[in-house]
Amino acid sequence: MPVITLHYDDLENLTGADRDTILERVRMIGADVERVHDDHVDIEFFPDRPDLYSVEGVARAMRGFLDIETGIPQYAVRESDVEITYDQEIGNIRPFLACAVVKGIKFTQHSIESLMKLQEDLHWGIGRNRSKVSIGVHDLDRVVPPFRYIAADPSYEFVPLDFEVPMSIGDMLKKHPKGVKFAHLLEKFDKYPLILDSEDTVLSFPPIINGTLTRVQDDTENLFIEVTGTDKSVSVALNIVVTAIAERGAEIESVQVCTPETAHITPDLTPKTRSISVGDADALLGLDMSHDEVLQALRRMRFDAAARSDDVIEVVVPAYRADIMHAYDIFEDIAIGHGYDRITPVLPETMTIGEEHPISRMKSSLREIMVGLGFYEVMPFTLTSETVHFEMMQRPQTSDTRGVTRVMHPITREQTMLRTTILPNLLEILSFNQHRELPQRIFEAGEVVSGGRNEVHLAAVAIDAHANFSEIRSVVDSVMCERRAAHDITESNDPAFIDCRCADIIINGESVGVFGEVHPGVILNFGLDQPVIAFEMWGLKV
Amino acid sequence: MQLTPNEKRVLSALNDLKRSPPAELAAKSDLNPDALMQSAYLLEEKGLSEIQESVTEIYTISEEGKEYARVGLPERQILSYVQSCGEGVTIPELKTRFPPAIVGISMGWLRRKGWAAIADGVVVPAGDAAPDTGADEDTLMMLLEEGVLTESAHETAVKDLIKRKLVDVTEKKLRTIAITEEGEKLSREISQVEETAEIVQLTSDIIRSRRWDNIRAYDIHATVPRTYPVKIHPYQRLIDQMRRILLEMGFTEIKGDVVQSSFWNFDALFQPQDHPAREMQDTFYLNSEAELPEGYEKVRDVHEFGGETGSTGWGGEWSEELSRKEVLRTHTTAITIRYLAEHSDPPKKAFCIDRVYRREAIDPTHTPEFEQLEGVVMDPGVSFANLLGYLVEFYHHIGFKDVRFRPGYFPYTEPSVEAEVYVDSLGWVELGGAGIFREEVTAPLGIKCPVLAWGLGVSRVAMLRLGLRDLRKLYQSDIDWLRESPVGA
Repeated sequence: MPVITLHYDDLENLTGADRDTILERVRMIGADVERVHDDHVDIEFFPDRPDLYSVEGVARAMRGFLDIETGIPQYAVRESDVEITYDQEIGNIRPFLACAVVKGIKFTQHSIESLMKLQEDLHWGIGRNRSKVSIGVHDLDRVVPPFRYIAADPSYEFVPLDFEVPMSIGDMLKKHPKGVKFAHLLEKFDKYPLILDSEDTVLSFPPIINGTLTRVQDDTENLFIEVTGTDKSVSVALNIVVTAIAERGAEIESVQVCTPETAHITPDLTPKTRSISVGDADALLGLDMSHDEVLQALRRMRFDAAARSDDVIEVVVPAYRADIMHAYDIFEDIAIGHGYDRITPVLPETMTIGEEHPISRMKSSLREIMVGLGFYEVMPFTLTSETVHFEMMQRPQTSDTRGVTRVMHPITREQTMLRTTILPNLLEILSFNQHRELPQRIFEAGEVVSGGRNEVHLAAVAIDAHANFSEIRSVVDSVMCERRAAHDITESNDPAFIDCRCADIIINGESVGVFGEVHPGVILNFGLDQPVIAFEMWGLKV
Repeated sequence: MQLTPNEKRVLSALNDLKRSPPAELAAKSDLNPDALMQSAYLLEEKGLSEIQESVTEIYTISEEGKEYARVGLPERQILSYVQSCGEGVTIPELKTRFPPAIVGISMGWLRRKGWAAIADGVVVPAGDAAPDTGADEDTLMMLLEEGVLTESAHETAVKDLIKRKLVDVTEKKLRTIAITEEGEKLSREISQVEETAEIVQLTSDIIRSRRWDNIRAYDIHATVPRTYPVKIHPYQRLIDQMRRILLEMGFTEIKGDVVQSSFWNFDALFQPQDHPAREMQDTFYLNSEAELPEGYEKVRDVHEFGGETGSTGWGGEWSEELSRKEVLRTHTTAITIRYLAEHSDPPKKAFCIDRVYRREAIDPTHTPEFEQLEGVVMDPGVSFANLLGYLVEFYHHIGFKDVRFRPGYFPYTEPSVEAEVYVDSLGWVELGGAGIFREEVTAPLGIKCPVLAWGLGVSRVAMLRLGLRDLRKLYQSDIDWLRESPVGA
């Protein structure tokens, strides 16, 4: 989630409140204060509120929350004569476009940094790493409208940002750092998007890189902003950017976007309206608010709101809010505006009777038996590797007939699959504890995944100079006896154990476990050098 | 007065000897010297013995002394040569026969001992016979034979030998242990009692014959070897405590498979298909697919345009293919939402504590698998205030008395809340998220009333409660940690 740097002097000026008040209350609008520095604070805002990804946006919200300025903020949009037209062909590549002009900017160090960071965070937050939305901000005075949004051949050349010589856009995808990073977004296409001015000067090659000519500098006064994308969220992204700049007093002007068929004006800062039921809000929040309280909470959250009937309130939602999809989204803002700290926790009256899960009950019994038999419980990881699970156990990979669950993109070679048996984990734990006093006796009543389904196994190991078959057989007999299970044993051919010193556990003709003296080769594979005995049981009935 | 068995032995031996150096008393008491001294000091504290310390000089023979002890002191060597010549010998001549140093040393001593006269550089013996050995020579011989002397009858001779560097001297503290009057009295009393044998181990014979009058008193403070009870894992104990609290609060425990479809893990929770959490980067995907459940189209609709919920939906096209892909569950919410979809008649209160998987590299505070707790309440009348009520109640029961709330964000709940608890050493700690399931989650699954939900990282609580710095300790446990972790009250 984006972490926003807020400089106190800037934040205090834009908010009209002192830093202590702001810092004390900001978490209550939905924020994690990450770190407080001498001259600034780093705050993480949630992914559903990209309008808070700038100091201007935070100040706007805090003015409402602190009752300094409530209700919906007004932004005037003047018509300009700037036009952008777009090619038929671009419709298949990156069809959504929204643009604006902003005039009369006086950049400061902080405001220019804030704008750049906002752009970056929106690329992440709304843009899904530029795939859905990418934003270009240009010095309007360097270019001559009208602009064009076209699909160009890979051989088209211009000088990209941070470069001094022209380069073809096809080469940029291979050589320019940004090109390499984002080339995958265009890999399906043989023509690439470009935004040009009337003299064929390149403003940008979305979503990859801007031209160097229109780079925004400290003395830039007028901006042309273009937002391209694959989704209608280009509009809200543009709205967030232009309103943030306008918070510092610049003037927003519209751009006419002409497709081959239609023309429309952007940015569209017309607020959306939604009607909500006060009764529904009260019921969901567990509050009993008057109309006025609801209206006040909404205005504090920078909505406009007016009562339409005894129950219905019409809410006017600012055009920079990207998260209002449903009435519940407004209810949450009412709760935040009202103050989470003013909501009294109440226990409901509904009567229910809890019940333990049968598997948990069984595991508890197994634990009781094993602890009684002198085994400590362990809870190892269930992700493991073929090496530990099969090779070190001297077991062939084909020994799991019901299917091993392998992950597609393991992080390490140690974690490539989910265990289908527990014994390898227990031997690993013995190997971690070689320097500890013997004897060591450990067990796990845990779940394995076999054929994609969870299954409960019980396994135990003991390491000791005198560990032998009769000891482990006696343990197995005790477990079976405690579980009131009548079992037989037959010779086993599990290669993890010493031949003729191991046995399969049989119930009703079915193999439900194995035990015996662990094979010395396996003992050595786990870096151990003392006799080890072990058992594992499955098919356990709850 | 209570005496330990060792003290009794020492007192008894001392009563026989009355006064003794430690070595002798140790032998008599059959104790090693350290144990003897320990008991002797304890007896002294009780007024039963006295330990006297004195300083004694110890004499040992030097290398040069050893040489002279064998071949005779220089003066004796010179004298016997001169006597063998039958007349006076000049010093220069002697110096050709003996090392000049020896000649030099001898002159003074010959004169002092009156063995010879020296006149005009000529040594003339006082008599023909060899003089008797002096005290100095005797002492030297004794030292050669015995190595060490502590006192000598010939103090002046020893002093001379020390001056001549033929004997070395060191000081040594000597201790003497003596019995006091009180000690003698007690010793007598004890010996009377001891006549009937002291019982160390109670036996069946003694019990049946009722002869248990003289049971030896034990020092109840003596150290004993540490034994460790075998026990369940400390982390499991914490999990069981949480399970018990939820069962007591009327919640039913549910479980499910680790392998889940993206449908249950993400789509049913209105997680947009292009959400970053769904990327290969963060989630363990499997190379397998699951069938979508009946009625999945409603979930598709809600993603695409909000379905019948009045929501805008996420827009775009919802992919069945992505939804079928199987993953290792990334949260227990996959289990709770499926349970609610399959048991949609209210009221329902359920919880799940189980392992979840995230594609994260292992380090002290991150493990790719960990336990999560999830509680849900599906009940027609419940509200956000009730959710806070459940949270406060639950946190109180697991031991966090101060709980506070602030807005939070989770893709499938609205309103959402973060709970923070106060921990003495750390201040306010974020401990879990909660919220009311969005209608986009509940409506397509046929759930018609609000669902309160909260989640908690159980391993985080374990770190706080067990004082762990490294999460791995829970899963790759040190057996000594298991042995030593207390069960608690």
